[in-house]
Amino acid sequence: MSQPPAIRVADLSVWYGAQRALTGITLDVPAGQVLALIGASGCGKSTVLRALNRMIDRVPNVRWQGSAMVGDTDVLGPAVDVVALRRRVGMVFQQPNPFPFSVFDNVAYGPRLHGIKHPARLRKTVEDSLKQAALWDEVRGKLRRPARALSGGQQQRLCIARALAVKPQVLLMDEPTAALDPLSTAKIEELVRELKGRYTMVVVTHNLQQAARISDWTAFLEAGRLIESGQTGTIFTTPRDARTENYITGRYE
Amino acid sequence: MRHYFQTELTALEQELIRMGALVEDQLRRAVRALMEQNAPLARQIIADDDRADRMEMDIERRCLSLLALQQPLAGDLRAVSTALKIITDLERMADHATDIAKITLRLKADPFVKPLVDIPEMARLATSMVRLALNAYVHRNIEEADTMIRLDDDVDHLYAAIFRELLTLMHDRPDTVAQATHLLFVANYIERVADHATNIGEWVIYMVTGERKDLND
Repeated sequence: MSQPPAIRVADLSVWYGAQRALTGITLDVPAGQVLALIGASGCGKSTVLRALNRMIDRVPNVRWQGSAMVGDTDVLGPAVDVVALRRRVGMVFQQPNPFPFSVFDNVAYGPRLHGIKHPARLRKTVEDSLKQAALWDEVRGKLRRPARALSGGQQQRLCIARALAVKPQVLLMDEPTAALDPLSTAKIEELVRELKGRYTMVVVTHNLQQAARISDWTAFLEAGRLIESGQTGTIFTTPRDARTENYITGRYE
Repeated sequence: MRHYFQTELTALEQELIRMGALVEDQLRRAVRALMEQNAPLARQIIADDDRADRMEMDIERRCLSLLALQQPLAGDLRAVSTALKIITDLERMADHATDIAKITLRLKADPFVKPLVDIPEMARLATSMVRLALNAYVHRNIEEADTMIRLDDDVDHLYAAIFRELLTLMHDRPDTVAQATHLLFVANYIERVADHATNIGEWVIYMVTGERKDLND
């Protein structure tokens, strides 16, 4: 019955030049579930996220040790095809970043890159992705309009649709609602709940209530170390470690 | 540091202590009124029950506003939800003080069928349990949990003894049935008070450790 975890980070350490960003992180995320990464700025949560789709490659002098399995691939292995990896591991950022194309072309971008040329198939993929991102009803008549004419919240859901269009296994979200108003935030959170089961998600957020609302698992990082992880309900009612308690009750020094 | 939240939480705890002191006082006075067959005092206790009800509502409002506006988590969340649970137990205890006062009025000035010894002793134990439970809450200290369990056992034993004694009395002297039944109710109310105190103890254990434990086992 029990599936192997979709994500399995084992003893991961990362250095940016001489500076150590992560120390011995070990974390599992079961398939189809949501992990929230919480912790103060600079604690390493974004580094964990960026390791999972190899965005850390862009940092000069980056080094790492340990492994990060997505399915049965060690995404940190030397032979990994980073382009193929990013198709399996999608990412959504804090600022919605639609391409300067139409709504349609934004979502079709990934599938085209991966060789889907047939117009009917492309249309179907775009429609399915927009529906999954709970945006279809709002943009069905505006597919040729520039993506940047959409509201911030719609742009963010478009970015999620764009990520979903290449049928990833994992969706990474780095503060996906930090730039959004409460209504758009609620829509994204609802969307995360709907996408659960089909996708494994890792969400970095500074909004603790958001982490509590949307995640199944929560991991608290401090100074590049994993202090505590567990079921979200447990972490937010009865954390074991005093450092976790201090952070989530706002008594952090 | 969340100073505002901390200040509000401290104020909430002080209100809770005040309510606890009031309830303790109501219980003590209720048993005294019964022993002295003091009808004016009994009526005063019934009138004062409003104060406990108002305090319960006030504390409840504070808790709900802290939950809504401050969104406490972890230990803070447990402290606020524990307060919400405790006031329900305290309010029930106050109701039992009123119940006892009403019985005092019903008994009028009829002489007691037997000297009351175990009932005041039971009440003394039960009120000391209330005090113990609230002290544990304020100091976030659960070291006295064992004392609570022992006191609750003592209360239960006294209740069983009173029950047997009154039953025998009613059997032997049918003319005592009306009063003995009332006294049996009094003993039952006090036994309930001890159970509510135990509930508070259990909530304090939850607040401090995050674990639900049954002190009645």
